[in-house]
Amino acid sequence: MVDRRKTLSWLLRALALGASPVAHIDFALAGGAQQGRAQSDRREAPANAPADQGYGRDPNLLHPHITWPLTLSPEQKAAVARLADVFLPQIGPSPAASAVGVPEFVDEWISAPYPQQQADRSVILDGLVALERQAPGPINRLAPAQVEALVAKLQSSAVAGDRTAARFFSRFRNVCLVGYYTTLTGVAELGYVGYQPSATFAGPPPEVLARLGV
Amino acid sequence: MAAEPFDVIVVGSGAAGGTAAYALTRAGARVCLLEAGRSYDPQRETPMFERTAVAPLRDAGTPDKPFGFYDATVDGGWVLPEEPFATAPGTEFRWFRARMLGGRTNHWGRVALRYADHDLKAFSRDGFGADWPFNYGEFSPWYDQAERLVGVFGSNPGLPDQPDSPPGCLQPPPVPRSFERLIMAGGRRLGRPVVASHTAVITRPINGRQACFYATPCLRGCSIGANFQSPTVLLPSARATGRLTTITHAQAYEIELARDGKARGVHYLDRRTNAHHFVAGRAVLLGASAMESVRMLFNSRSTAFPDGIGAESGWLGRGIMDSTGSNVWGQFPQMEGLPPFNDDGVWLPHVYIPWWAWPEQRAGKLPFTRGYHLELYGGRLEPSADTFDFFDTVSPFSYGARLKQEAQRYYGSFVRLSQRGEMIAREYNRVQIDPVLRDAWGIPSLRFDVRWSEQELHQTAHAQQSMAEFIEAAGGKLVAPLPKDPAHAILPPGRIIHEVGGARSGADPRKSVTNSFGRIWGVPNLYVIDGAVFPSSAHKNPTLTIVAFTLRACDHIQREMRHG
Repeated sequence: MVDRRKTLSWLLRALALGASPVAHIDFALAGGAQQGRAQSDRREAPANAPADQGYGRDPNLLHPHITWPLTLSPEQKAAVARLADVFLPQIGPSPAASAVGVPEFVDEWISAPYPQQQADRSVILDGLVALERQAPGPINRLAPAQVEALVAKLQSSAVAGDRTAARFFSRFRNVCLVGYYTTLTGVAELGYVGYQPSATFAGPPPEVLARLGV
Repeated sequence: MAAEPFDVIVVGSGAAGGTAAYALTRAGARVCLLEAGRSYDPQRETPMFERTAVAPLRDAGTPDKPFGFYDATVDGGWVLPEEPFATAPGTEFRWFRARMLGGRTNHWGRVALRYADHDLKAFSRDGFGADWPFNYGEFSPWYDQAERLVGVFGSNPGLPDQPDSPPGCLQPPPVPRSFERLIMAGGRRLGRPVVASHTAVITRPINGRQACFYATPCLRGCSIGANFQSPTVLLPSARATGRLTTITHAQAYEIELARDGKARGVHYLDRRTNAHHFVAGRAVLLGASAMESVRMLFNSRSTAFPDGIGAESGWLGRGIMDSTGSNVWGQFPQMEGLPPFNDDGVWLPHVYIPWWAWPEQRAGKLPFTRGYHLELYGGRLEPSADTFDFFDTVSPFSYGARLKQEAQRYYGSFVRLSQRGEMIAREYNRVQIDPVLRDAWGIPSLRFDVRWSEQELHQTAHAQQSMAEFIEAAGGKLVAPLPKDPAHAILPPGRIIHEVGGARSGADPRKSVTNSFGRIWGVPNLYVIDGAVFPSSAHKNPTLTIVAFTLRACDHIQREMRHG
């Protein structure tokens, strides 16, 4: 992809040694005219273009959005939702995973073009197929008790040393935990109350210091 | 708007180049600043209050953005397909780059410790590497200036490894956070110091910058300028003089010498168009980052300098260092299930553990001769993609109601201790120009040949043990047993992003590349001002020392220019 440029540019460099005056000056900082935001100042060459549909090395951080297509089929996504709701069920006011977008996050995660996510993709998709093989029918059509039984069986296999079951359990659970507890609902459930600008920082309250014994 | 001819060409806009632009424009010089990356405006671009919940992959690191979606790194990372580098067989090197205005000042840990006299004279102490060409007494006024410019909080506890700053240099440190207080209590039990960190975040307004408001992660950058970034702290002042011209997307690749042996100017190319340009100046300063400055010197070959400028002594490209780094995680039952409270603080370290084992080391009782310090991270951070990394260990195979209880129970109870230690400068640890590899613009690339010695491994074994002792003395449990072999604990060279050396400064032209002001021996108007000049690299983050060295060099340069 860069071969042509590579060879050309070194030749051009040799030619340029004859010294030319400053031809291109970016006035963004020298003068008053501010260049636009990240997007308008992006390099045009394709080197940084996310050919694999990743967000690239210079995404607009103030308008975050995913750049890759989601890949779970409706049936897979429904199965993920059923399982996620067993891992993180509704308990009183604490909502179930599917109520805070966990299935959508699992889809976002396993559809991403990056190595960690692609590794999780095979573990999770293969795991779904393996689970369904042990189920009395498609996961998304099982009765709640049947899905719970399926997860209980998965857990027993994992605890008993079935490595494939353990890996699926671990990765599926981790992606669900991240998907759940990074939402504002999840953050509140964990008791994270930061992000509050303040003129001073008082440190932990006395009751916490007492609990810590410091 | 400044016009040609320029007095000074500065390559790079980070800690070194930004400081040079600041100091020299204010002293009256017309400066042309070449930056390989794009323009970057932290005021407009920093995602200060954007939440993790709306970031792709919840801000998890990816090859595109290794420190997460919101990290203040533009066009950077560990692997840049258009900017490859080679490593010698059997070696590893990590090289983090950021192609943007301000370079890596936008993303750094902001620990800003002064070198002590024993750091500058480490060779005299143990015979490894080389001494710096000045002592602490000569250098400390530049640290004073650097601290006042950068804005550093900290305290002066009077420790041998941490020189006190004169009054008026440091800002008051914030009070410690919960997990920091636990480690402090552990330190008291062990009889080891845990003191205020020196961190480049301001807690009081200075120079028109607002003080920290104790919210939002510093590694995203700071739109209010409370932490130190070149584009918010250095470049606005330089710009206000009307004497700064900044050229972005400008990849400098060669210094041209005139017939009289002086640098005439710099060749660069526009990374977007491949167009080649030349800019002339009365002096040239290299602050492109240590490895890039060395690469430029190697790539500046001529009849007079067939192996590159500065290569005559044989030291160009040699003595490459990083900081040693390793981690130990602890889990603290006292921190489980605490009531909600805001423990964000300045986000970066409030306290740290300075190197304490001086007496033993001096007495020859340790199998390594250079020190380390420990940094602490953790506690009740905003839940993120790595919050549950240890759940397979602390709560294996739980699910359902129990999993939700465990998530609440364990959240905020993990603390990471991190070693940052001194690596000895070795002649054999070097970079060279790779015989075949070139970047996408055709510029010859670097080949790294850097390895740890027994010294660094012994130091890491000691640090791992010490971190475990701190965790246990503070009432915590290790999340995983320590690796038996320190080679499995130490991170690869380059990973701490403190890579320095390769154009070391010294008093003897036969054994160094630059003099004490960074001036290349034999080229009277060509200077290296970044980490390349480090003859040794204490366990302390190099940025503050780069700023101080550059301020000292620029003071010298402006006096030279005034006298013609």
